Amino acid sequence: MKEEIRTILEDLLPLVDFDSDFLFSELNSLDVTTILMSLSDKYGIKLEALDATPKNLKTLDSIVALVERKLQEKQS
Amino acid sequence: MMTLEDYLAQDARLYPDKAAAVCGTETCSYSMLYERVCERAKEYADSKGKVVLFRASQTIDFLVTYLAIHKAGAVAAPMEKGTPQELFDELGKKLSSYDVPEGIADVLYTTGTTGRSKGVMISHRTIIADAENLIAGQGFSHELVFIINGPLNHIGSLSKIFPMIVLGGTLYIIEGMKDINLFFHALDYPCEKMATFFVPANVRILTQFSADKLASYAEKIDFIECGGAPLAHADMIDLCRLLPKTRLYNTYASTETGIISTYNYNDGRCLVGCLGKPMPHSRIIITPEGHISCQGDTLMSGYIGEPELTATVLRNDTVSMADLGHIDEEGMLHIGGRQDDVINVGGYKVAPTEVEDAALLLPDVKDCICISAPHPITGNALKLLVVMADGKTLNKREVALHLKQQLEIYKVPMLYEQVTTIERTYNGKLNRKFYRQS
Repeated sequence: MKEEIRTILEDLLPLVDFDSDFLFSELNSLDVTTILMSLSDKYGIKLEALDATPKNLKTLDSIVALVERKLQEKQS
Repeated sequence: MMTLEDYLAQDARLYPDKAAAVCGTETCSYSMLYERVCERAKEYADSKGKVVLFRASQTIDFLVTYLAIHKAGAVAAPMEKGTPQELFDELGKKLSSYDVPEGIADVLYTTGTTGRSKGVMISHRTIIADAENLIAGQGFSHELVFIINGPLNHIGSLSKIFPMIVLGGTLYIIEGMKDINLFFHALDYPCEKMATFFVPANVRILTQFSADKLASYAEKIDFIECGGAPLAHADMIDLCRLLPKTRLYNTYASTETGIISTYNYNDGRCLVGCLGKPMPHSRIIITPEGHISCQGDTLMSGYIGEPELTATVLRNDTVSMADLGHIDEEGMLHIGGRQDDVINVGGYKVAPTEVEDAALLLPDVKDCICISAPHPITGNALKLLVVMADGKTLNKREVALHLKQQLEIYKVPMLYEQVTTIERTYNGKLNRKFYRQS
């Protein structure tokens, strides 16, 4: 899933370095919204602006963890 | 005439302990702000009559620097914080060689009506006229807490400092809208009335991802101004539904014209494209060709160091815009499209040639055109269509990073596509009309 998310996000946000350990600091509000919209659509999950915390968007791994959490919530 | 700094001195006398500005955990009272401005002004004592270039930040320190430069008799030129160093140094050198006319307060960089970056000179008189327009047109008040969430080198956010200092209100500064929790935290500030300024992308973010939360502040949000670019009708309707008692304004403003007219679309009619009646210091004229022209005290004083260019836009105390529009029977302005090549992206105006010239510096880029394309969040975004050299494949990231080194960040396209040819007119020019229509 990580590589799939990377491909989606790198395509939409070519300026962002998704290998960064400080990803949130690299993003602007449009980038954050793009991440929320694209992952909500792709995985059929409900991501809200309140999910876009510095912790949840710290690295690509933390984004993957967020998506996984939301998928689990959806299934339960 | 009182300047903004005179009003600040007055606020410090009348409301010394009142919060002038809040940012993160820092609160600065009017007496503290005035003291810091006076102290900082000493650092600019040698800059009287000169332009001081500095990087804008969304902090209280920005306010101190901006006001201190004025207080020292110098001219403030806040630049986008991500401006490439080379461009920053080049501008600094250029600006130091210009004579600035008497009464100028700011030089604001914009692409604006003429399609390339230039410094717009704003006078102290203009700042006060903008403040008075906003107070009369939108009901800014002493009790209001205004949330600044956008870059302070841009007229959209910078202009909100003016009425708040004139009235002795409180500015609440946040770095942007990427951590929406910070915006909602700002809305929790203990006060009766709050207001803010949004570009269309902010509205889309809130209505798509935080509608319920936003609605929970309906009683507290006195008004929201939207500007920079046209707001989609669906977003206007959504905001009216979520905030039924809030005044929701669409405003006609630009760096060159100042704040001209405003319309509260939460009036039961929610008219698309309507920008309301001119404010007290402004007049609007529609030329026989259908272009919007503006008059009044909020107009710029000209482009710094560019008298010929100034003359093409500012003639007979009138600024001519590339925007098309008409005035309805109620005297309200309605805006149509633009009749030039400039692309408006979320309130920033971009000359496509600037992007294309920068992209063509890459050896593998054979030809390109920068166009406006639909975008689900911003409404539209810059898209670069690229013809690559034989056998080469477009690497978006490589091109984007290259452009980031050459240009301000808002000029870097979000969308890229490799194409085999670029449409040109019979005389070889880029056929921009073709791409606008397709």
